[in-house]
Amino acid sequence: MAVIRVDARGMACPGPISALTKAYRKAKNGDILEVLATDPGFKPDVQAWVKRTGNELTELTEEKDYIKASIKVTAKKT
Amino acid sequence: MVNNMAKGLGIVMFSGTADCFIPLGVLTQTAANLGVPVRVFVTGFALPYFTKNKPEPRFPKEFEDMVPAVHKGLEKMKAPSWYDMLKEAKEVGDVKVYVCSLMAGVVGVEKGDMDPIVDDVVGATFFMQETADYEIIFI
Repeated sequence: MAVIRVDARGMACPGPISALTKAYRKAKNGDILEVLATDPGFKPDVQAWVKRTGNELTELTEEKDYIKASIKVTAKKT
Repeated sequence: MVNNMAKGLGIVMFSGTADCFIPLGVLTQTAANLGVPVRVFVTGFALPYFTKNKPEPRFPKEFEDMVPAVHKGLEKMKAPSWYDMLKEAKEVGDVKVYVCSLMAGVVGVEKGDMDPIVDDVVGATFFMQETADYEIIFI
């Protein structure tokens, strides 16, 4: 299991989800994708992405200057 | 894919103004991120922007006064261009860009004149068949 950090701070929609998607393509089941973003639409967007792809959102918090989402990769076809 | 969503997204890209290219890029990239196949059918005034000698899309005259602010905002947000979004969408997802054969004939361009982002020059029948189960939007 690896923790993969995706720093999407400063990216506008749909940049953060694109960055997440790119990282997801290389990830394996059990990995954690930790995404940092500043786009105001990121919270609902990442929830929608998780719902669509069937992975697990383990954390979604608003820090002072950014939003942090942690996603456990569970839906990769092996 | 675990929830209900259209089997794919068909986009008829007709407008040739810059404001319409932004949603083309955003929606195509978003759909690709979600694993939704996209088929873009380029026709009308949008076609020249998909050729090798593409001009820079222009904003419509009626919004001219807003253009400087939009440009400034896009720059500030470091928003990628519609072309880069489309290109990236093709890298991560099942995205095809087709040019309308009728309109290609009208403006006098052939397959060899197209930008590399274009997959093929096709007729409306091919596009309709490819997108038979898709949601289709017109830009």
